[in-house]
Amino acid sequence: MSFWGFVRPDGSVGTRNYVLVIPQGIIAKTICDMVPGTRGILTVDHGSGRTANNREQIARLLIGLGRNPNVASVILHAASPGVGYPELRVERLAEEIAQGGKRVEVLDPAKDGGTYGAISRGIQLARMLVYEASVQRRALVGDDQLCVGVKCGYSDTTSGIAGNPAVGYLYDKIVEAGGTAMFGETTEIIGAEHVLARRAVNRQVAQAILDSATAQEARAKATGLDIRTVNPVPSNIKGGISSLEEKSLGAIYKAGTSPIQGVLKYAERPPRKGLYFVDNWMGHLSIFAGYVAAGANLVLFQLGGGGVAGRTLLEGSPSIVAPFLWATANPKTYAAARDSIDYYSGTVIEGTETPEEAGERFHRIVTDIASGTLARSETLNYTDPIDMYLEEPRF
Amino acid sequence: MPAKRALIMQPNDNVATALEEIQVGDDVAAALGKESRSLRAAEAIPFGFKVALQDIPQGELIRKYGEVIGRASTAIARGTMVHIHNLEGTRARGDLERRARA
Repeated sequence: MSFWGFVRPDGSVGTRNYVLVIPQGIIAKTICDMVPGTRGILTVDHGSGRTANNREQIARLLIGLGRNPNVASVILHAASPGVGYPELRVERLAEEIAQGGKRVEVLDPAKDGGTYGAISRGIQLARMLVYEASVQRRALVGDDQLCVGVKCGYSDTTSGIAGNPAVGYLYDKIVEAGGTAMFGETTEIIGAEHVLARRAVNRQVAQAILDSATAQEARAKATGLDIRTVNPVPSNIKGGISSLEEKSLGAIYKAGTSPIQGVLKYAERPPRKGLYFVDNWMGHLSIFAGYVAAGANLVLFQLGGGGVAGRTLLEGSPSIVAPFLWATANPKTYAAARDSIDYYSGTVIEGTETPEEAGERFHRIVTDIASGTLARSETLNYTDPIDMYLEEPRF
Repeated sequence: MPAKRALIMQPNDNVATALEEIQVGDDVAAALGKESRSLRAAEAIPFGFKVALQDIPQGELIRKYGEVIGRASTAIARGTMVHIHNLEGTRARGDLERRARA
């Protein structure tokens, strides 16, 4: 299959065409309020008191969001130009984003007449940039230009038997076409890591998968806690999942059957096309920002929702620059939230569609949304702040 | 009344997943590909929950997806529900580790 996308100077292809204004703050917020077509990122952490590793991770996330193909151009503003941590200096962020070939503008309150001067210049710049972006037309490209990320959540047993396999079918199709697909949630491969390791492209990658799970399991054991009080989470148990292993074995279906090319860190860009495992954390306000910073131009949330219709969860999407799709295989969840759900695969459980028919329908929906059809989450003007995955302590 | 539907993921699984609400005494047809195994529900099994396909002694491994999902914390009779009351996960268990150290 193919889709209509925005071809960027570095050859990557966007499914959307935003002007990104970062980082968060009064300057970005005011510009975004005034200029349609802009997009800001809500994040509560700017790196103060963070370790060098974690500051680099924040920088990787901001640079990655700026370089995402759904972004036509970027306005950066300096909170404290020339000072602050070297990793997060605006000059550095601007330079690395610009390496992708797109236009990057920097606002500097010290030169632009303070906060309000920077806002004023920023609004003028943003108006020009959204106009310029609007001139670009979509072009027909192959599915090799799809780059997707997935998480499964509020998982119940419909996730393992129909929802995640539908994602797996889609993932296989995208990888087969030469595209890129990412999955992760390291805690939720514990008990299934040996199955994934068998699918690694070589022994090093297999070992890296096993090591990710072992390290996460060691962290869990070091707490002295019974993991069952943490994960599976209460909604999983209410949906019929009895152990972390059962959850993991159902969860890995969403990765399909392609060989795993490598293990990536949070917000790390895949070096090549194909299927990648990302060593990350399940929280949906965390994981999707990481995928999008890694280059995902579309992301998927496969929802179980059994017993908990998840209405409130479904109203908010993470503050990211990629269309965010909701999928479910649970008939009760779908009935409760049809206005929010983009794709339903419970037809396989009901016997009205084969897994292949359901998978093909999913693929068509994904390429439609990649081409500009709105994801249901895009019909609501509300986003939640992102929660960056930073593992080291703050001081 | 037609048998209630359940699904077996892999041939060596000893549990099946209920695809509809199963009541006590219902006949259950557990499908594995084109084959089907029948059993009688010894208790109610809600949609999405697991039913034992055979008697599972205490301590025995429980398999779904062809893989181990935990072990039986008590003896489990064929046709009864398998969930947190009788299945115990064994991975990432800090409490077991702590007990072993004590």
